[in-house]
Amino acid sequence: MTDAIVVSARPTHGEPRPYHFPRFERQELKNGLGLITVDLPGRALVTASLVLPSGAVDEPEELGGVTSLMARALTEGTSRHDAIELTEASERLGASLHAEAGWDGLSISVEVPAERLSAALELAAEVAIEPSFPAADVERQRDERLNDLLQAKADPRRRADDGFVETIYAPGSTYGRPSAGTEETVPKLDAEACRVIHGRRLDPSRMTLIVGGDLGAVDEDVRSIVEERFGAWQRNPAAEAPIEPHVEAARDGRIVRVIHRAGSVQTEIRIGHLGVRRRIPDFHAVSVMSAILGGLFNSRLNRKLREEKGYTYGAGAGYDMRRGVGPFAVRVAVNTDVTVPAVQDILVELEAMRAGPPTTAELHAARDYLVGVFPLRFETPPAVVGAIAGLLIHDLPTDELDRYRPAIEAVSDADVERAAREHIDPAKLAIVLVGDADAILPSLEGAEIGPIVVDREELPGEAGQGAADAA
Amino acid sequence: MLVPKVQFTESRLPNGLRLIISEDHLAPVTAVNVWYNVGSKHEVPGKTGFAHLFEHVMFQGSAHVGKAEHIALVQAAGGTMNGTTWLDRTNYFETMPSHQLALALWLEADRMGTLLDALSQDNLDNQREVVKNEKRWSYDNRPYGSWVEKMLGSIFPEGHPYHHPTIGSMEDLDAASVEDVSAFFRLHYAPNNAVLSVVGDVEPEQVKAWVTEYFGKIPANPDLPAALPDMSLPPRIGREIREVVPDRVPLPRIHWGFRGPLFGDHRLDALDLAGQILAGGKGSRLHRRLVREELLAQDVALFSMGLVAGASVTTGWATARPGVDLGRLETAFLEELERIGHEPVSDDELERAKALTESDELGALQSTSEKADRLSMYATLFDDPGLINDILPRYLSTTAEEIREVCADVFRADNRVVLTYLPAGPEAAADAALGAAAGAAA
Repeated sequence: MTDAIVVSARPTHGEPRPYHFPRFERQELKNGLGLITVDLPGRALVTASLVLPSGAVDEPEELGGVTSLMARALTEGTSRHDAIELTEASERLGASLHAEAGWDGLSISVEVPAERLSAALELAAEVAIEPSFPAADVERQRDERLNDLLQAKADPRRRADDGFVETIYAPGSTYGRPSAGTEETVPKLDAEACRVIHGRRLDPSRMTLIVGGDLGAVDEDVRSIVEERFGAWQRNPAAEAPIEPHVEAARDGRIVRVIHRAGSVQTEIRIGHLGVRRRIPDFHAVSVMSAILGGLFNSRLNRKLREEKGYTYGAGAGYDMRRGVGPFAVRVAVNTDVTVPAVQDILVELEAMRAGPPTTAELHAARDYLVGVFPLRFETPPAVVGAIAGLLIHDLPTDELDRYRPAIEAVSDADVERAAREHIDPAKLAIVLVGDADAILPSLEGAEIGPIVVDREELPGEAGQGAADAA
Repeated sequence: MLVPKVQFTESRLPNGLRLIISEDHLAPVTAVNVWYNVGSKHEVPGKTGFAHLFEHVMFQGSAHVGKAEHIALVQAAGGTMNGTTWLDRTNYFETMPSHQLALALWLEADRMGTLLDALSQDNLDNQREVVKNEKRWSYDNRPYGSWVEKMLGSIFPEGHPYHHPTIGSMEDLDAASVEDVSAFFRLHYAPNNAVLSVVGDVEPEQVKAWVTEYFGKIPANPDLPAALPDMSLPPRIGREIREVVPDRVPLPRIHWGFRGPLFGDHRLDALDLAGQILAGGKGSRLHRRLVREELLAQDVALFSMGLVAGASVTTGWATARPGVDLGRLETAFLEELERIGHEPVSDDELERAKALTESDELGALQSTSEKADRLSMYATLFDDPGLINDILPRYLSTTAEEIREVCADVFRADNRVVLTYLPAGPEAAADAALGAAAGAAA
């Protein structure tokens, strides 16, 4: 009966509209500053991002977090304006100005209506070139980071993410801690440390300004604006080149680490090991493989753990590809009483991924999604500018984004199987569980998944109660 | 005017489906967005959480689409999709490469017309477990995760349709039968209770032809639910409601909540600008005083959640720095709310807030999916999609005196909920949760 209500024949699709990633070109100012402009007609809110392909990777271990703090402190004042004056000036333009640093890069960005680009870049240049790092403001930001670390310990998902990288990387490895620093390193940071790292890192000849949006709506020539705002910035002979990330696995075998959180109604699960860097020859095969495993809604993990078992709101897996070898992780939160069955299901799926090629349907679903969604990812200026920044940070060729769709189309089932065999190693998995150890351990011990260690640290805010309550 | 006008056309199918089309050929992308005029406010006692559970069921298949196949087909076409449930409505949306538009329209039609053909006990049981894990993940296992439920429970009296959160009660979900869920579908999911917006790289005539072909035979529901009983409330709560909440958090946090003017009332626009001036960034009053100058707070927030009947929720918080006296923190926060109700904001503050609002609008309308969602929203809630172009001029016309006036009306001691989250061990936190559950059941 209902056949008559909605036609049963599925629509066929039309002819794809021609699409390519927006064209961009690189020029250079006399001081070596790169300028990339990308015209996006109709996008009147322009994004400009000054990018340095160097981040927390390049900082000394004992000063962990200094690059992130320095970046956040850039907008805390300059030799001409204090933080409030800067913010107010930016707000009058309808602009948002912010600076941040991650593992592999630092960026100072503004989003501003096209006709006010020049004034907004004046502020961005001031922040980049002559930050004053006022002591009290840097200390306040440092203390905010320390408080944030307290909050992170109490939040099960952040505790699991941090606990996972602590577990898989050997001590002294670049990525074995949060990029914004730890309780040990952050207290040592101050304005002077920010000044020093700013002096060692920022250098126009190592940086690129990317401007994306409706450049026809900008009153002047973008290059002249940039010359005016950044042209007087001197090369920095003291600047140091990025270093090679130092990455080492913590162990060769498996480990199961339980981080106790009494009474937790869910267990946050992370399972994985060291992954891959961004610049690898089989990047596209790994992308397709991880979409099949844990990227698509109907990925093997989500289908099993959510749609078949109802254990979770969602399960995923992926490679965080960085300049060095970033983590590979399955991420899922399940209700406490199914923790061990969920872990076992995940282990089965990881083995199965290596055991043979994907089905034709899986291969097509993953490739078609990655190819088809590509234009949707770059609808707005921040997304386009961000993708170009990624090329700079990972030192990828300028045609990398144009090559993406044909390269994904060319991934075969054998390529996927090979990627799984090379980049998933069940013998080396770390299984990190943040949840109620007393509820999980009995069945976990019987499951013989691997050697178990249990952390029963007191969570912040529960001081003095943990021991008494456990008794 | 900096922000370009959104051009659109409107039509209605004979079965009542309202269709809004807006062309935007900047990218080869099309957004499809369906709003159903059903939210958690339509739920009856004993059946809370149904609207949201139902949103999950909508991805479990229909006459010509298998379980989870809706998402598989959209993703294989290079599209993205989701659905969300709110107090006033439920929405479903896809963003597609424009040559795949027909598929998204057909998928929406198939579940609007034939969902019950595929509804099974297994699928319902499965999604009930998924939703329970969504609650654990989004509320129970999250620091400060109970604040929304507590805020709605205090701002709206027992029995008011906004009193309970969209996630609903787990007991009610456990009791949900296939018959209940079918009845919910038959009542609310009909073309004459929906708005379909299609925005992007489209040819309007082709869109109309597809929509007619796919949706045209879905019967209207002649017995749509009557308008909800009167939801109006006194403009103020009438007293201060305070609660101390032990939780597993390292830093205390105070949440405040107030009854605010309704969505659509110009006074809520003025209150939004007040939110920007009070807590909208580094230069805002609360951030400046509490975070930067007096070092009382780790972070501050203040914003409104617009609702169409009874009252909106105006809410904010301040997370205390370690060791800070909470009395000082609360006094400082409330002094700023009081001050903005006494003295008009400066011209410069107002101009800055307006410039940022204008840029936000410009940014939001660069996205086809955002445009489609707003067109559906204004059509569903106010019967006027054209409001998409009126909202910015309304913000820009707001005066300092209007801001002062609405702040004086809203930020009052007798219109205030204060939730103070204090660090506590797991037992105390669990006891508090149990107490809340017992209170809710009473």
